[in-house]
Amino acid sequence: MKPTDNTPGNHNMTADGAGPGAMKPGFHNTDGQGIAGHGSFFQQADLSREEAVKATDWVRKHVDRRTVDLGDRMDDIREHMWELEREGEIIVHRITDVHKPATVKTLFGWEKKIPTNQLWHHKSCGQCGNIPGYPTSLLWVMNNLGMVPGKDYLDETDQTSCTAWNYHGSGIGNVESLAAVFLRNFHQAYVSGKQHGFEAGHFFPLVHCGTSFGNYKEIRKYLIESAELREKVKKILGKLGRLVDGKLVIPEEIVHYSEWVHVMRNRIASELQKIDVSNIRTTTHVACHYYKMVHEDAVYDPDVLGGNRTAIITSLSQALGAQVIDYSTWYDCCGFGFRHIISEREFTRSFTMDRKIKVARQEANADVLLANDTGCVTTMDKNQWIGKSHEQNYSVPIMADIQFAALACGADPFKIVQLQWHASPCEDLVEKMGISWDSAKARFQEYLKEVEQGNIDYLYNPELAYGGAK
Amino acid sequence: MQQIFDDIRSDFRYDHELNGCLNCGICTATCPSAHFYDYSPREIVQLLWTENVEQVYDVMQEKIWACAQCMTCAARCPFKNSPGGLVAIMREVAIKHGMQSAKDVLRPFGRVMLKLITTGNQLSPDMIQPDHFPDWGPNIQKVEGDLKILRKAIPVKTLQTVDTAWEVSLKTSVEMYTIWEMTGVLKSLEMMDENLFDVIEDFIDEKKEDYEDWLEEQGDD
Ligand code: SF4
Ligand code: SF4
Repeated sequence: MKPTDNTPGNHNMTADGAGPGAMKPGFHNTDGQGIAGHGSFFQQADLSREEAVKATDWVRKHVDRRTVDLGDRMDDIREHMWELEREGEIIVHRITDVHKPATVKTLFGWEKKIPTNQLWHHKSCGQCGNIPGYPTSLLWVMNNLGMVPGKDYLDETDQTSCTAWNYHGSGIGNVESLAAVFLRNFHQAYVSGKQHGFEAGHFFPLVHCGTSFGNYKEIRKYLIESAELREKVKKILGKLGRLVDGKLVIPEEIVHYSEWVHVMRNRIASELQKIDVSNIRTTTHVACHYYKMVHEDAVYDPDVLGGNRTAIITSLSQALGAQVIDYSTWYDCCGFGFRHIISEREFTRSFTMDRKIKVARQEANADVLLANDTGCVTTMDKNQWIGKSHEQNYSVPIMADIQFAALACGADPFKIVQLQWHASPCEDLVEKMGISWDSAKARFQEYLKEVEQGNIDYLYNPELAYGGAK
Repeated sequence: MQQIFDDIRSDFRYDHELNGCLNCGICTATCPSAHFYDYSPREIVQLLWTENVEQVYDVMQEKIWACAQCMTCAARCPFKNSPGGLVAIMREVAIKHGMQSAKDVLRPFGRVMLKLITTGNQLSPDMIQPDHFPDWGPNIQKVEGDLKILRKAIPVKTLQTVDTAWEVSLKTSVEMYTIWEMTGVLKSLEMMDENLFDVIEDFIDEKKEDYEDWLEEQGDD
């Protein structure tokens, strides 16, 4: 058959593909499950094979693939996950009452459970190497809300990055490898409580990175739709000893840390906030991979900028009482580009200067630009200095939402918020918040001498969260 | 050439990412790469949709590498297309076929790749030094000091590392290697950059041995 005899993908239009159940499972399926974009109202026509071919030919000739129903509502993938669990195919790592969940609404009006307790910190490879103040601030806030390390959260060495940065940057990797990594890490989260004497499922994964979050949601969707993919990765997970009762473990929700911050914002503001930030003008940059990948799952709230923007970060600024300022390039990417920040930096820095830093400064006159992802914070933080060479003398402090929250709650700008790793001018912001940069810096330099002697302060007894084979 | 095109459209994601195209250009209007390169997501979608095999091959020589993988296009497209997702498929196929464009693009990625494949981490503190990123300015850190001590001053123990972003247990890394092997990632790497592959292979063998030794030690106890 010539390729032009068929539609792209060869899935829909041949006699082979036209009959009920004759297609690859899950993809524009004809088995009435409607999980690949057809609504649940989709019904089988029960045509004979000949009739189906005839009808398909008619569609090809007259309408082709431009018939996609724009009003068509996407199916909620989670419903199909429950089905798979009922059929004994997978185990769903559930969010139960012990995780003290809060319920929020997503873009499509669906409900999403955000666990607030018993969390497994899934770190980010870019953030930890580069902007460590963001995981540190998160743990500090958790401690100050009374959460007990090793019981209410865990930070362990038995985890890898999601590897999606590499995949999006280089093209090396594939859906199977991404899926295996996802299932490996989340299996570990599921069983991680055991070494502390807890039941399986005690800790629920809290994903720190926007790209991990987007990638995991996308991969979860593929896993649920494709029996073929499940079969392939089952072999790998089996070999790793990471099946439970012979089944794959998939989490009920993929949860981003800024969603945790979003649902905890009022507690943070009422119980921990020490500094009045009403004189601070904040602007927001939300990670593309937070709300543009699998966008139906991103959190929206009608009370936050009228629901026209995803709620996270902005909602925190509001709760802390800062001045929230919108700007015209809010929707734009930061320019990270995965491979670009490493090998084509002129793209990255031009984009971030032209579309983000300059606009945040000129339009919003921002005191700070808050973000929720490793790549974005790095891109916008590090690429300001070079602007001078193009007479773009714009600069704005960049940090993660949780770092700003920690500052507002009185955390030390060096020891906890770790602003010393940032290239953007955080000094001005800190001073404007009424914290002396110079004395904090002097204190920190004294502390470094202590560190040299081996006298190190930890946010918790590290042995608790330091499990895993070495 | 035909094989390359067939590989693209036989990817199981293809039907997710390409549903038809109104030619409205919304994707291109919001695409960061379209601002800076001779690149348009609309063009990618149209090319695949109209099945122009030669031109598809041409865009794979260079243009697909312009995409920043931000997925703004996917969130905006009224037809639920994902030009960025299609680009991801095309990049994978470019690698599978050992295309020169893929090799060129991967070269500067070597160091990151080495970290990732061997440790399961991607960016480490020792990579973020002024001599690697001169355009980031003279003071990409606000406090002078030895990197090791500065990292030790982070109050989270798993982060007190210099050559990985966080401490990764040996067992975890070894599991990672199994994934790379079983999913063909190491094979792709070998085709793309033999030297890098050799270095990585040696490293992996060494780590595996370390792990075996460790397991034996545990058994002896
Ligand atoms: S994913 Fe690629 S094609 Fe889509 S908007 Fe981003 S840069 Fe453009
Ligand atoms: S936004 Fe969608 S429909 Fe419009 S040109 Fe781009 S791919 Fe085609």
